[in-house]
Amino acid sequence: MTGRVTGMVIGLATLVTSGGAAQEYLVRLDTRVQAASYRGVKLDSIPVGTVVTTPGGSQETPDGYAVTCIPGRTHCSFYRAGAVRRGGPIATSVDLTAWGFGLKGLSFHLNGRVGADLGSSDVWPGTDPALQLNEGYGEYATERITGRLGRQIEHGRLGYYGFDGGRIAGRFPGLGLSVIGYLGLGLARGTALPVTSDVLNPLDDFQPRERQLLAGGALEWQTRRAEARVDYLREVDRDTRNFVSERAAFSATLRPVDGWSLTGGAEYDLSYDWWGSSDLTLRHTRRWGGAAVGVRRYRPYFDLWTIWGVFSPVPYSAVNGSAWLSPVAGLTLRAHGERYSYDDTRANSPLVSEEKDGWRWNAGIGVSPAAAWFLDAGYHAEFGTGAASQGGEGSVSWRPVSSLTLSLEGGHLVRPLEFRTENPAVTWYGGSADFRATERLRLSLAVTRYDEDNRRPDASRIDWSQTRVRAGLTWLFGSSADRLPLPPAIRRERGR
Amino acid sequence: MTDLRRALPLLLALLGGTAGVAALRQDPFDHEEHAKLFPGCENCHAGITDPARSVWPTAESCASCHDGTVEKKVTWTAPAGPAPSNLRFTHAKHAEEVLAKAPADSALQCEACHLEKDGKWMAVSRARSAQCLDCHKLPAEHLAGADTSCATCHLSLAEATTLPRERVAKFGTPANHDAADFMTSRGHGELAKPPAGTDWAVAPSCTTCHARDFCSQCHVNAPEVKLIQAMAPDPRSLAITAELKEPASHEDGRFLARHGGQARRDAASCATCHTQQSCVACHRTQPAIAMALPEPGPGRGTGAVIERQQPASHTVGFADWHGQEANAAPKTCAACHARAECLDCHRPNPGASGSYHAAGFLTRHPSAAFSRESDCADCHNQSTFCATCHEKAGLANAGRALAGGYHDSRGSFLLSHGTAARQNLESCVTCHTERDCLACHSAQTRRFNPHGPGFNPERLRARNPQTCAACHGNAIPDD
Repeated sequence: MTGRVTGMVIGLATLVTSGGAAQEYLVRLDTRVQAASYRGVKLDSIPVGTVVTTPGGSQETPDGYAVTCIPGRTHCSFYRAGAVRRGGPIATSVDLTAWGFGLKGLSFHLNGRVGADLGSSDVWPGTDPALQLNEGYGEYATERITGRLGRQIEHGRLGYYGFDGGRIAGRFPGLGLSVIGYLGLGLARGTALPVTSDVLNPLDDFQPRERQLLAGGALEWQTRRAEARVDYLREVDRDTRNFVSERAAFSATLRPVDGWSLTGGAEYDLSYDWWGSSDLTLRHTRRWGGAAVGVRRYRPYFDLWTIWGVFSPVPYSAVNGSAWLSPVAGLTLRAHGERYSYDDTRANSPLVSEEKDGWRWNAGIGVSPAAAWFLDAGYHAEFGTGAASQGGEGSVSWRPVSSLTLSLEGGHLVRPLEFRTENPAVTWYGGSADFRATERLRLSLAVTRYDEDNRRPDASRIDWSQTRVRAGLTWLFGSSADRLPLPPAIRRERGR
Repeated sequence: MTDLRRALPLLLALLGGTAGVAALRQDPFDHEEHAKLFPGCENCHAGITDPARSVWPTAESCASCHDGTVEKKVTWTAPAGPAPSNLRFTHAKHAEEVLAKAPADSALQCEACHLEKDGKWMAVSRARSAQCLDCHKLPAEHLAGADTSCATCHLSLAEATTLPRERVAKFGTPANHDAADFMTSRGHGELAKPPAGTDWAVAPSCTTCHARDFCSQCHVNAPEVKLIQAMAPDPRSLAITAELKEPASHEDGRFLARHGGQARRDAASCATCHTQQSCVACHRTQPAIAMALPEPGPGRGTGAVIERQQPASHTVGFADWHGQEANAAPKTCAACHARAECLDCHRPNPGASGSYHAAGFLTRHPSAAFSRESDCADCHNQSTFCATCHEKAGLANAGRALAGGYHDSRGSFLLSHGTAARQNLESCVTCHTERDCLACHSAQTRRFNPHGPGFNPERLRARNPQTCAACHGNAIPDD
């Protein structure tokens, strides 16, 4: 696999650098490095006979760790603080687009990444394997048809899917229609690795022996006032000929009147025969603010090569609302709230009441008293089954010149952990700088200090406090390299 | 000859409006001061009517008085050569025509143009255009005449080759240029059309002051506009600068949302000010209607320079709900955004931070993951991202599901774990393996039935019997 990636990188690099073969190209290099540490837990046990019962009736180890004893077992278990682990992930990603090969509409795209953990304990996720090819494909586009071949990512209502294969899209402008079809060998969700990769199985779970065959299509329709899209996707295990997934989705947005929109969609899992996530939101937007109300339903999705789906994860249904207001220039107020409720799990025990409901809200304010200053503050609260958190955060940004942004930020958070007797409060604060040395070179540096106050009553309080440092460099070169993704959102005319 | 002499003052006055205008302006000679000395204009400016003589007095004639004794000495040098002008006639020619038409008109004297009516003798100035218009029966103010009236006296700018650029820059601005719709096609576009029944290619009211280069300052489509091409090129016309002004239609708050439809209905109107570059500044997809606009090039104006404008929908909170819009209306997003921009956030980069999640998100990610608002798995693979990290932290519990002790907030967690699992299964699997669960929930172990609401065994067996076999082996039940 690594050899294939290397070959593609070398091949494309050769195309670009060989005597004028590629007339134009754009390369973006991003390097990010971070210094971080964290401290986990370590499972331990002691014989039942050595357990100490406290005056309050709880059971502990002699050195004060709360233990869990299961009747019939000879040992009670508990968690000690684990060792401090330090990670130093560094990753450089290369994004290359090359065109001008003598055939109008022909271009090549490559996005790859080299990563490593400079820390002592190789703890950081995502740095293995060191070399990863996110995308690498050739594209030929005409006014009506676009064809693409290679490693690519398809995005739709069903999520982001990577695959090695071909994709073709046809457009019928007169009808507002587009038809998309793709076929290839799929990658695992949320990563550029095949499902057969060793690093995808850290917990020694079930894993396919062959990559799945992925096929899908979409139909898009667009008019001035409405857009709609239908997606279909199936994945088949090439080894067993069984389905890995089969899903369909519909999504649409209507804009019947200027400033108003109605957006919604739904997914259906044909394998499990149930509806997946769906949503419907009515939104009103004005220059001075807006509001949105919506309903939605969320249900997780699992591939069929795992067995998680047979545990019948239940969806929750939610109603939500948002509002934002900018009464005067330089002032923005925002608020969002959602209340949700899970479907009946049919797994409740007569001894334990089932929690089904949760809610969350947040509010904030942004103030720009002067062109170079921006202050933002917000508060959020989440309550629900499993975990919750409440806290606030704020930041002050100063941009003395257009190429430099300096920020100070901080926050405080209380976060009961998932089904665990811990109520840690975390206070964090730090600063960051973002400097655009030239139109093509951007540097960033951030330092954040986290101070944790673990309020657990027994000895297994874990001090997670640490300082994290992040640094980054973005370098653009090639033709049109000065065009950053999002120029300032202003319109001007010549001479102004 | 008598008639000619009678007309001489007028001709002399006309000269003041042409060859002599600049000299009169610069000449320190005070005509009023000398009013009693000169009974007529011809004494000094005989050349106006007689090409054989000088238009200007000689230095010697001045020195006859200004000899340093009678009057102080003066320095006087007559201008050399013909003065620059954009007048269609010479004074001599004008005199001939006047005398041919009105040989006995005593009013046609120098003062008719160069002296205010009933003004003091010798209080001369540049030609008073109102009096020219009055004689020629053009009932309008100067610079406000009808389309053809300018051509009565003036050459087009391209024809007035002797007129320097500096003089062009000082041309007055007609009042109609201030009209609200003047910058539209209904304004100057209509005015530029040649008057009906004339041979003009372009209204002289435009060409008197302007040439093709002037129009090309703004008109991106200048090479395609016949009226502009009918004008002669002349770089001196750039002495008058023009600036694109945003049409009133663009001030409408809904313009951004509607401009696509308007462009389809009237692309030619857009092409006046916009090149393809205007469109592709935002529309990365290069729509056909944009590609039909002119490309930048010689002979065309630069046109309006467009920078991307954030749509009204991209307000506070948009980052949180943009996924909905992106799923439902991908083409709308693709008009401005390249896929790579999405993947900057939707493909996490080790070491990167703060791109998608707010600063400090790390500290609250457990609570955000429970009852998650968005699908974490779109970006994060649960195995490589979540489970790997949790395993290194000692949180992963592969093979030790019943060791107990971690979820210690409830003494009865084992009894309620089914509810927790069905509600937050995605969070469970970041630490627990399938084998943890199968220790009890399998037909081959303790036979606790894991299937819950919505489970369709027939459908699942048809799609992937291997999933069933993980627990049931070869004895997969019929329902």
